Amino acid sequence: MKKIFLLLFVALMGPLSAIAKPGEALRAMPIQDGGRIKPFDSFSREMLEIVYGKTKYEKRAAYEIILTWMLSPEAWQGKKIFEVRNHQILKALRLNEEQRYFAGEELFANEKFGTLRQELQAKRQAQEKLDPYFQAVQRLENQYIIFAEIASGRMMKLVPGKDAHGDWVAIPDFNEAQQTAFLVLTKEFVTYIGVAESGDKAKVTEAGNALDKAVKSFEDVARAANPALYDHDAKIKAEIHYSDLHPFRLAYIFYLLGAMVMLLMWALSKPGFMKAAWILLSIGFIFHTYGFGLRMYLMDRAPVTNMYETVIWVSWGTLLFAAILERIYKFGFTLFAGALVGTVALVIADFAPTVLNPALEPLVAVLRSNYWLTIHVMTITISYAAFFLAFGLGDVGLIYYLRGEEKHHDKIKAIVLAIYRSMQIGVAFLAPGIILGGIWADYSWGRFWGWDPKETWALIALLGYLAVLHARLAGLIKNFGMIASGIITFSLVIMAWYGVNFVLGAGLHSYGFGAGGVEYVSAFVAVHILFVIYVAVLRRGKKTEA
Amino acid sequence: MPTNTKPLWRRINKPLASLKLAVVIIISLGIITAVGTIVESKYDATAAKKLVYDTVWMYGVMGLLVINLVAVMLDRLPWKKRHASFVFAHIGIIVLLFGSVLTMQFGLDGSMRVGIGDSNTFVQTPETDLVVYTSFDGDRYSKTFEKEVDFFKRPPSVEKPYSIPAFNDEIKVIDYVKYAVAAKKVIPAELGKAGAGLRFQVQNPNVNVIEWLVQKKQGGMQTHDFGPAQIHLGAIPVHGQGKNEIYLSPTKDGLDYAVFHKDNNVKPFKKGFVKEGDVFEPGWMGIQFRVLRYLPSATEDWDLEPRERPTPLTTAAVKIRFAGKDHWVLLNDMVKLFTDNSVYLLSYSNRRIDLGFPLKLVNFEVERYQGSTQAKEYMSQVSVPNMPVTKISMNEPMKYRGLTIYQASFQEEKGVPVASVFSVNKDPGRFWKYLGSLIMSIGIVLLFYFKHLDFKLLKNKQDQSKK
Repeated sequence: MKKIFLLLFVALMGPLSAIAKPGEALRAMPIQDGGRIKPFDSFSREMLEIVYGKTKYEKRAAYEIILTWMLSPEAWQGKKIFEVRNHQILKALRLNEEQRYFAGEELFANEKFGTLRQELQAKRQAQEKLDPYFQAVQRLENQYIIFAEIASGRMMKLVPGKDAHGDWVAIPDFNEAQQTAFLVLTKEFVTYIGVAESGDKAKVTEAGNALDKAVKSFEDVARAANPALYDHDAKIKAEIHYSDLHPFRLAYIFYLLGAMVMLLMWALSKPGFMKAAWILLSIGFIFHTYGFGLRMYLMDRAPVTNMYETVIWVSWGTLLFAAILERIYKFGFTLFAGALVGTVALVIADFAPTVLNPALEPLVAVLRSNYWLTIHVMTITISYAAFFLAFGLGDVGLIYYLRGEEKHHDKIKAIVLAIYRSMQIGVAFLAPGIILGGIWADYSWGRFWGWDPKETWALIALLGYLAVLHARLAGLIKNFGMIASGIITFSLVIMAWYGVNFVLGAGLHSYGFGAGGVEYVSAFVAVHILFVIYVAVLRRGKKTEA
Repeated sequence: MPTNTKPLWRRINKPLASLKLAVVIIISLGIITAVGTIVESKYDATAAKKLVYDTVWMYGVMGLLVINLVAVMLDRLPWKKRHASFVFAHIGIIVLLFGSVLTMQFGLDGSMRVGIGDSNTFVQTPETDLVVYTSFDGDRYSKTFEKEVDFFKRPPSVEKPYSIPAFNDEIKVIDYVKYAVAAKKVIPAELGKAGAGLRFQVQNPNVNVIEWLVQKKQGGMQTHDFGPAQIHLGAIPVHGQGKNEIYLSPTKDGLDYAVFHKDNNVKPFKKGFVKEGDVFEPGWMGIQFRVLRYLPSATEDWDLEPRERPTPLTTAAVKIRFAGKDHWVLLNDMVKLFTDNSVYLLSYSNRRIDLGFPLKLVNFEVERYQGSTQAKEYMSQVSVPNMPVTKISMNEPMKYRGLTIYQASFQEEKGVPVASVFSVNKDPGRFWKYLGSLIMSIGIVLLFYFKHLDFKLLKNKQDQSKK
């Protein structure tokens, strides 16, 4: 138990102490980008992510890298900082297809790059949908533009403009006072990174403090331009805290620990471990909830508007439902399945930032200031949480089948009951959620039901689970059928949740569309279906033997 | 239980009420709609509607669903308390579907584009109509044919044309393309039956414009407006309009022209005659006016490039054959057909429904996220008769004379909004849809309450059947 608290302490204190470290005031410098004011730290992470695919470069923080792009772009010319994953593009550019990172001159001095851009422009003019290849070309162009715009300082909008809706002033347009202050800042920054490499602690602190002071005086000069628009201190601090704390990573670490403790409990037959599992999972859940709350505070809205945010929300719901069912039935594996699903979902969200974009982004007009939006999206996605739990339980159930159907008959029956309950919870949220979606559509577009693919797939998922529940009532499927359908029917949810946005890419819900990861998701679905078939075949084999 | 004592209707009803049938229906619905979403992703929402959702298959399965829902409720008569959730859920679905039928039959769902400062009285709906107007003097037209056509589902062909009777001939629709990118072209027409066509170039060191001007009818007036100057193809007036103007009047071999300056509209600054290839200087801004092509009789036609899939730039088009000649007509466009003694005007358009009152767009505003082009919010100020100016924005529609008018989108040119697009809607099924939703939701809530009872019963039944 002590260990847990120690871990918690370290996890919390680590990032908190980081804020106080000298030389990091730069991170909190406000910058206008993507329709909002954000800390320079978030801006840098997002930009480095687009260009390099990671939020750090050779262990150096993003904000350092981004600032040096601007200060000495020439120094970066030969460095391999541009990530290109698409083989077709590499082929078109006649570059080594095995390589993933390239120098700017390899890509953009390449005469074929011009051809690619022209092709993309032609596609845009014809207003055709971009296929994955052209989406990749678009990213490449984006990488090129971002690097060039940061190097020139035009993207570095650091001083507030005249009115609340307009552009902030970028570095090339600074007035004299602003230029002077920024020059001091860059000088101190260069000294600081020079000293930082030497490793002399006292000197680093000294240089860091000097840099912080320079940042402070630049911010004072910037604030003077329009004090009313330079007032984001609380949110900027919270955002830095959010990205340092990485609450969802902490959450899945604790979920994973909890699941492992439960495995140990079964392996060693020590029921007392259950309490430890509950505590670990609760801590994870607290981090999960805290992170969700932080995002809500930062964006002034319920964070359920893109794929990343719904993954966070759904895994949260899965844990919640698992805990409720566990309290009622005390099966043990309900909680285990919940922990497993929560871990998997959060790990995916953490490791696939190019697919699930974790950036905090403003809302498109349709979604703004809308009460129904929040309600209908949250209701529908929370039903996915229940179905996800049924899916996790299905996996656990299959494992019991593998370990012996006769021996574990009671366990299997209990799992089937838990799956049945999860499906009921899911249906009870999904059906009203779809109706609320209809009410919202009626309210804002005048159409209760328009066969929009997102709505339609939610309906298909509902139909799928209704078919399962009715088939069970009719006696068409029994225990194994329930476990198999817990897994297979979830494919419909994956289609409704992920597939419509990332595979179909059509319809009114276009604000949530993205690209990437299709091969992994398909593999995930295929592996599970194969698993079900494998167990089914084994069962049949055993039956015929008997 | 002895079954032969059951009344006949119960025995007939039994198979219709089967749960297995329900499962089959649910799965079929799922499959059909899944196909629909794939069609929509490959083509567009209209294609999905025409090919999947508005088909016999879909209606058939829906019909079966209603039969199954009713039958299963009859089968369980007399209802007991534990049936509440299932009865509510099923009645809810039936009411919901009833509402949808009402909307489909009697509802209105169209769109209306209004430019800023303009007004509009027409709503455009997705249905397409073929309309023919006939004139014997080339001036007064009367409507002689109007029919709804659905070429998307039933495309015409040369072998099986769609025939429109005309005065002493017929107009045939012989081809249809769903998606095509169209480019305008001008071709010579039979002399005396169409207006003149002129392709000109206006050039100085800073300006170089090449344009076509085609008279809509013989002796008509067609104008190209550059802003600082206007080019007119038509009869030369006695006085100018107080602008920099060039008038070009078609004759058999060339064009008579007259130039007016904006400071002297009383008499022409210059007069003359030009043929194809000739150049003259109107005397402002060092401009040269060149006649690139002159057709005493010209009509406009389209070069079509069919596409496999729709984009915002594609349009549907029909090919018509009349008096041995073929013409392409784009959706929402028209074509003129001449015979020796009559003129036909054929239009192929989305249906436009007259609302009976004008809707004026007084003002339109877009608010954007700071420092970006992404719209944060947009709203229209509209005025209708007997109402003060009303605001319509996303999620805040206006109700007027039984219609609900929603903000759908807006159009911009070079980053500046020019028009607002509304969705205009009348939904007589709305009440039933909400009622159905409510009843169904109550059923779902009750499901949790009564589920265990149902389960016990099922178990008893299974135990009995085992015995």
